[in-house]
Amino acid sequence: MNMGESFPILTVVTFLPALGIVLLLLVDKNRQLLVRNVALFTSLVTFLVSLFLYFKFDPGTGDMQFVELYSWIPSLGMGYHMGIDGISLFLVLLTTFLTPIAIWSSYNAVTEKVKGFMISILALETGMIGVFVSLDLFLFYVFWEAMLIPMYFIIGVWGGPRRIYAAVKFILFTMTGSLLMLVAILALYFVNQSYTGVATFNLLDYQGIQIPFNYQIWMFLAFALAFAIKVPMWPLHTWLPDAHVEAPTAGSVLLAAVLLKMGAYGFLRFCFPLFPEATIHFIPLFSILAIIGIIYGAFVALVQKDVKSLVAYSSVSHLGFVMLGLFALNMQSLEGSILQMLSHGISTGALFLLVGMLYERRHTRLISDFGGISKVMPVFAAFFMIVTLSSIGLPGTNGFVGEFLILLGTFRENWLYAAFGATGIILAAVYMLWMYQRVMFGKVDKPENQKLKDLSLREKLILVPIVIVIFLIGIYPSAFTSRMEASVAKLMETVNEKYRVEEVMPQVQPRRDFQIDESQLEVSTHSFGGGEIHRGQ
Amino acid sequence: MPVPLGYYLGLAAIIFTVGVIGVLVRRNAIIILMSIELMLNGANLTLVAFSVHLQELSGQVFVFLVMTVAAAEAAVGLAIIVMIFRNRESVNVDNLNIMKW
Amino acid sequence: MNLTLIIPEIFLFLWALLILFVDFFTAEEKKHRLGPLSLVGIVITVVLVVFSGQGQAFGEMFSADYYSLSFAIIFLGSAFLAICTSIDFARERIKHQGEYYALILLSTVGMMFLAASRELLSMYVSLELTTISLFVLSAYLKTDLKSSEAGLKYMILGAASSAILLYGISLLYGITGTTVLKGIQAELVGSAFPGPLLVISLVFIIAGFSFKLAAVPFHMWAPDVYEGAPTPITAYLSVASKGAGLAAMVRVFFGSLLPVTSEWIPLFMALATMTMVLGNIVAIRQSNIKRMLAYSSIAQVGYILVALSAASELATTSMILYLLVYMFANIGAFAVVIAFYNHSGTDEICEYAGLSRRSPFLAISLVIFFLSLVGIPPLAGFVGKYLLFLAAIQKGYYWLVGVAVLTSVISLFYYMNVVRQMYFRKPTKNDPVKVSWSLRLALVLSLIGVIAVGVYPDPFVSLISKAASVFVY
Repeated sequence: MNMGESFPILTVVTFLPALGIVLLLLVDKNRQLLVRNVALFTSLVTFLVSLFLYFKFDPGTGDMQFVELYSWIPSLGMGYHMGIDGISLFLVLLTTFLTPIAIWSSYNAVTEKVKGFMISILALETGMIGVFVSLDLFLFYVFWEAMLIPMYFIIGVWGGPRRIYAAVKFILFTMTGSLLMLVAILALYFVNQSYTGVATFNLLDYQGIQIPFNYQIWMFLAFALAFAIKVPMWPLHTWLPDAHVEAPTAGSVLLAAVLLKMGAYGFLRFCFPLFPEATIHFIPLFSILAIIGIIYGAFVALVQKDVKSLVAYSSVSHLGFVMLGLFALNMQSLEGSILQMLSHGISTGALFLLVGMLYERRHTRLISDFGGISKVMPVFAAFFMIVTLSSIGLPGTNGFVGEFLILLGTFRENWLYAAFGATGIILAAVYMLWMYQRVMFGKVDKPENQKLKDLSLREKLILVPIVIVIFLIGIYPSAFTSRMEASVAKLMETVNEKYRVEEVMPQVQPRRDFQIDESQLEVSTHSFGGGEIHRGQ
Repeated sequence: MPVPLGYYLGLAAIIFTVGVIGVLVRRNAIIILMSIELMLNGANLTLVAFSVHLQELSGQVFVFLVMTVAAAEAAVGLAIIVMIFRNRESVNVDNLNIMKW
Repeated sequence: MNLTLIIPEIFLFLWALLILFVDFFTAEEKKHRLGPLSLVGIVITVVLVVFSGQGQAFGEMFSADYYSLSFAIIFLGSAFLAICTSIDFARERIKHQGEYYALILLSTVGMMFLAASRELLSMYVSLELTTISLFVLSAYLKTDLKSSEAGLKYMILGAASSAILLYGISLLYGITGTTVLKGIQAELVGSAFPGPLLVISLVFIIAGFSFKLAAVPFHMWAPDVYEGAPTPITAYLSVASKGAGLAAMVRVFFGSLLPVTSEWIPLFMALATMTMVLGNIVAIRQSNIKRMLAYSSIAQVGYILVALSAASELATTSMILYLLVYMFANIGAFAVVIAFYNHSGTDEICEYAGLSRRSPFLAISLVIFFLSLVGIPPLAGFVGKYLLFLAAIQKGYYWLVGVAVLTSVISLFYYMNVVRQMYFRKPTKNDPVKVSWSLRLALVLSLIGVIAVGVYPDPFVSLISKAASVFVY
């Protein structure tokens, strides 16, 4: 908190990778190892600096911390405004944690145009962190869009055989959504101006205004489209499997772990506090889409022949969970969703890394080309097992906590949604374990598989931190939830407050003041009765 | 009895329209150039007619400058047409089809 | 009468004559030095423009204000960049280099007068000075069939559109009895019922200007002329001549026709929609990069027309800013095209395959310019589009912005097609593309412009918003 006033730590974290790009530009492109090391070093430093955020973070408040606010284009009210709360803190950390891993994992995989690749990854990192720390809509949009370009190049230049198709599809989908969001941002600017008379793009200022319901609906839809494409929610998910399958490993890792989270984060940061009525209005629609996503993703994953596209479809399913939790809109479900976002980032990122390692050895990803790998690569198999179990959500691993909280929270709001959602967990176990069995067990019947080398030291070192985090979240989740609570509570309060003021106030008894306290969670849930009334209509 | 303003305007409109049709229909570049002159003169006639009607001189000054500009335009236009003729021995705009029109 | 106000214009005019004069005494093989000489003249003119005072001269005919200042800088900037890109091209492919540079300068003089003019007569004459010089320039490759064809088409349609504009002006003069914009406005405020004659006159004026701007459906000359004209001239045409049309159009509509907005705003909206949709869609299937850029520049005009139909101070600011960033991005893109053409003699997009290997600098520059044209942050084009959309949303034109946004996505498709060729495909040849100092200068200046305006637009926005405040909305 006090750090923010003296030292612009968020700016540093955001632009350290950009500084790395400048360094890289000075390096001769033929010295590949040096190029790689510079990139890795930059991202590691970024991670270390960002750890600072975790330790200095004040869990007691739901307000923004480490705030930096400078005017940028004062004539039009655009500011350079950064800050994080408990929701964005972990997403920033997730980004800075996975980027060095992604970079290191590409040491063998990317051999052509290494410099360009590293520049793209670092640019992507700056963009990703920027999205999570921006509190000015203009700034946010700048990062949101700017991030597309490096990803486009990562897929298009270093991707697989259908990379061009995948890259174009990726950029067209995301651009369509985000440009409509731009329209909504501009509209928001004028709505705010008409209420307060102040020309600003500051998100926190926007939260104070009551936007008329009919405006909310449209703006919510425009924002939600951009975010839903990014998440991706069914039926807007079709770009994802293509992008994932064609992207190089490092790209897939960051895509799955961080880029998809931006969609969910967008709902939390923008849609919910700005358009609470519209959010509640659309709960059924989005919950049902989320459930369809969960089940559809799982079934499609079940029949995939390619390991990577299996993981990609499992992402659709897992992100469905996140969305279900978000739209259940209570403390547990929201915390669960945020945790699930982290877990999914970690586990799916790890899965992509593992698949990438396998691909580097065999140059195929078809499940049918493998079998009995556990005999040739025991260490690999062990890591794969841990990650698979965490992805399924075995108790003790990270996946469990998030899914459990989501289902718990959803159950309170609508048991039917929770019941449908729960089938996703069962299906996840089926497709993941079946895949594991076909790849790892059985006879080694392919001659190419017999002399596969087990993991190298580098690869082990890449995977160990991930496994540590998997268990850390699984066993000691309060290290994470404790820092989220205040922020999530504040979010809930904003949503409830506005909603109550607008519509429910005449009908509902004055309720006790909101407290951030486990025992009061009941209250927050019940006070949400207004939502029920609405849904009944 | 003076000729009413409407007559002048009508005539000017007709001249202008003839010019437009000429530009659209004729295929010989020189005739197109002449049609453009007709359009300009239609505008000139309108200017003069209004100028007299309104007892205001700037319209007539305008016409002088338009005539000068038209001469410049015709000079450049003819030069380009001559150049085209040297290149391809034709001034028919239908033959100008190296690029999609 | 205040002659000091037009010193920059007079100076540039004299400099053009100086070029012709020096040309007369210069040996053929040294004539390429006339290019740098004209650059010097432009730089001096910029200084003069910035430091000459503000005020009015020749009655209402000439007004030096922030509006004319901003446009003058844009015109001089694009002339500077166009000449930078011309030097090698002209040395190798053009006879009569002296006249070539002189004509560019003269055309710029016309544009500067145009932006400063607040009266229809002087506006018409300066517009003609601009376009007649450009007719000659676009037909400059005398033996090249495409170039002469482009010259003829441009001449015919340009002259015809001037005539249409003039007819509209003559009717407007008849309705209001004056050619001074302020006077026209005063007359229109008084008249309660705009008669059919006014509507007809507006239609003619809009049609005339739309030709100059290459707005759909008056765009059909543009692709041919852009493809056929010498490429540096295409670059100049696509920015400066459009800018000139826009400068005059905004002066006329915001300076005199605001009392009757209800008569012309719907027309602009229709034009904007058609222009954005058609320009972007047709651009997709172009295989020649000059032609693609021609359609893309048509599409860009569509975005500007969106703001024009918003008719507010913010709209004017956004249009001028957009023109500025469009200048950097578009001339920059053309500079790459010229460099590539000088080296390989082709403009086909498929020949750009693997350019990222052959010339990484050219390739990345082109990517940056294209991304700016699409409007990807943090590049200048984004700020431009942001303000344009802001102006339109302010007036509640949600559907129009919706169209603009969706067509922007389409535009991404064809720009990325070139990027795809350069980055995702393997080169057919391996020789690096040579880039001379002058082209490099143009590229670097454009890059700086695209990035600087994108990252820190505030000084530009505040200067230009002063320009926008010359009108009373």
